[in-house]
Amino acid sequence: MKILVTTKVGRGQVRKTVSGDWLRVGRNTSCEIHLPDPRVPLEQGMIVYRDGLVYMEGEAGSQVITRRSVRSERMHYGEPLAVGPYRIEMTPPPPGFDAALRVELVHPLEAAPALAARASELTLGSLGLTKRWAAWLWALAVLLIFLVVPMGRVLDLPWRGASQTALFGDKFWNPGPVTLAHQPIEPKCSACHEMAFQHVKDRACLECHKNIGHHVGPEMKPAAMFEGARCATCHREHKGVKATHRDDDRFCVSCHQDLKSHAAGATAARVSDFARDHPAFRVTLDEDGGKRRVRQGDAPVAQQTHLKFPHATHLDPKGVKSPVQGRIRLDCSNCHKPDASKRGFEPISMPRQCQECHTLQFEPAVTTREVPHGKVADALTVIEEFYANLALKGTPDSFQKAFGVPGEGLLRRVGDPSPAERQNALALASRKARQVGADLVEVRVCKTCHEIASVKSAQSTEWKVAPVRQNMSFMPHARFDHQAHRQTKCASCHDVQSSKSSADVAMPTIKACRECHGGSRPIEGKVMSNCLLCHGFHDATHPWNPNPARPVTKVAEATHAR
Amino acid sequence: MKHYSILEYARFRWFKAAVVLSLLAAAAYLWHDPPIKPYGGTWLGYTLGTIGALLILWLLWYGVRKRRYRSTSGTVQGWLSAHVYLGTALVVIVTLHTGFELGANVHTLAYILMLLVVLSGMYGVFVYLRVPRAMTENLGEDSLDALILRVGDLDRDMRARAMGLPDDLLALIDRSVSDTRLGGSFMRLVTGIDRGCPTAHAVRAWPGMARKLTGASARLDKEVYGLLLQKHQMLERARRDLKHKAILDLWLYFHVPLAFMLLAALVVHVVSVFIYW
Repeated sequence: MKILVTTKVGRGQVRKTVSGDWLRVGRNTSCEIHLPDPRVPLEQGMIVYRDGLVYMEGEAGSQVITRRSVRSERMHYGEPLAVGPYRIEMTPPPPGFDAALRVELVHPLEAAPALAARASELTLGSLGLTKRWAAWLWALAVLLIFLVVPMGRVLDLPWRGASQTALFGDKFWNPGPVTLAHQPIEPKCSACHEMAFQHVKDRACLECHKNIGHHVGPEMKPAAMFEGARCATCHREHKGVKATHRDDDRFCVSCHQDLKSHAAGATAARVSDFARDHPAFRVTLDEDGGKRRVRQGDAPVAQQTHLKFPHATHLDPKGVKSPVQGRIRLDCSNCHKPDASKRGFEPISMPRQCQECHTLQFEPAVTTREVPHGKVADALTVIEEFYANLALKGTPDSFQKAFGVPGEGLLRRVGDPSPAERQNALALASRKARQVGADLVEVRVCKTCHEIASVKSAQSTEWKVAPVRQNMSFMPHARFDHQAHRQTKCASCHDVQSSKSSADVAMPTIKACRECHGGSRPIEGKVMSNCLLCHGFHDATHPWNPNPARPVTKVAEATHAR
Repeated sequence: MKHYSILEYARFRWFKAAVVLSLLAAAAYLWHDPPIKPYGGTWLGYTLGTIGALLILWLLWYGVRKRRYRSTSGTVQGWLSAHVYLGTALVVIVTLHTGFELGANVHTLAYILMLLVVLSGMYGVFVYLRVPRAMTENLGEDSLDALILRVGDLDRDMRARAMGLPDDLLALIDRSVSDTRLGGSFMRLVTGIDRGCPTAHAVRAWPGMARKLTGASARLDKEVYGLLLQKHQMLERARRDLKHKAILDLWLYFHVPLAFMLLAALVVHVVSVFIYW
């Protein structure tokens, strides 16, 4: 039989003639009734001719429709069947056909959206990632945390309190570690940074460094000389734990290599480097008229001491004769004892260093007693008392040895002495005392070391001992540490081996220092030595005046005006 | 016409300028005799700091200049070339400004941010030199839009033909047609890989499922699978293109916010230094 299948496609229709007793219905192209829709199974069902058309459908997934059909409907005119989204209706057959079917898609598949519809977010920007907002947000966060909050304290803003307790305070403004001595005040920025947007004032430094000395005395007019300089001109903080200044010669040399043009009244000689360009040392002498500084040169420098002391005799390699120890060899340390600081030495003292050999015995035949070292009158009194006592109580032996005549102490005799005997004894004792005293002072003992002037009058003779000048500091401005030089022999610097006079000043010359000390540049075999190794800048002998008539520096001026 | 990159702009004019600037700064640094040690507070420190700060502001101005299409102050290429080279010289100048004094403070924060901005910028230059060529190689004469339209055509064709295939295969095609997507997430854009792509899944699953087909179905299967492979290949190219574009974009998401952070840190640095002068 012949069946006409008319399929509606859009507005038109497609006709197809099928010959046979059955027609397959399904998505498959081989189906006689082709339903191209994904909702329709590959082979949905069949229409078979059994005294009219019957539509049959198998179990889902089963293509063996005929045997196990689950749907079987006889078709009638005007009663279309719903097959998936399609409608299949039996229509009266046109001439020449046995049957006719009309197929129409009544529920068209909504067209799947094209890929373009699912390709909208194709850039990072379309995902909501943002450059602008992130930029503003991060920038504001940085400003807030590291600037706005911390500056509350220093600028006295309303959130002052919060900025002191905030996690991110002004400690993050600290550009670097401060020196060890300043670490106790490091957490408190305002200890030095008193005013916002202003340099640290000298006043803040002087709060603690009250006793700092100025570089020059008032006669040099430091106010003009250091105009505009602040403490911080030389001392930079936050530059490490070791120092606030550079330990080299730059600052010093900038003035001292041509000092006259900076300070007309300066007496210091020009200097630019210890090794190459440094004047001979100046030795400070303690003289009758006061202190005097003398530059070392070709002529030996002499310090008036009023003491007879030849180093050469005492350091004789053959030794000296000691009344106690026999002949002994002395060296420097027998007399020169380090002081408590070990940097310098104790002053030489007669009782400690000299008296063991240079005894002050006045009547060694009778006694080991010595006169006290000090005033002549005290010594003479002791002598007088001694002989008076001997004249009164002396044994015959002592009496004989002391006075050179036989006898014994007045009180040792039997019976009261007569007034004449008393007079005689007293006269004897006085005469002997005067004689011994004169001998002690002028000949035998005092004169050995001291310069003595005798003033003779009708009744008596008076002696004046010139006061001994013991200069403990020939170079008061130099920093020198004997302890640091202890591996060196004393004689390497102090040449006293052949000195016959205590006036010889045995201070080392610059040549001696230069044997070990180089200048500001490293040299093999020498200690690099810059100005500050021996010199200080702040001279304690010129105390910094906190209230000068004219302020020391411009900044200090502003400070003190407040 | 030979293509000149921004690095070669005007016969390396800005490269030379940057080298001269860096060498001048280095020479000044070596010659300079600072009061205690080199740092930002000496006269040279202030000078280098000022140059550095002005450079930073000028480099930031590039973001404005490149949007001013009517500006006649040089070409944008010239600006970019200068931006790149002077930005690199900035590292030298600012490092010398620090005097190699670094610590846990806002000043070093600004320094590190400066380094990060420059590094991200250098990466940007690297990307701009490498990626466009890869983009051309990937797309050829095509454009992304054309690819997407062609995938749409393929989808229609593939789906129509797949009607004749068994349900499981049709389902693969159906999902490929209706669920395949492009972009949509950061990872998908930046890696160019869509782990859940139904098309890729279909390509992988297809051979095993189609093995049982015979006759006309097998022929149809070959056709449809061919279309599927074509689509898959086009998708890969499209995704690679998106990845390239994302990479061209991505560094700017660091470069720009970091630059603004740097600007803020620079303000903090300068203000805090002068508050505690």
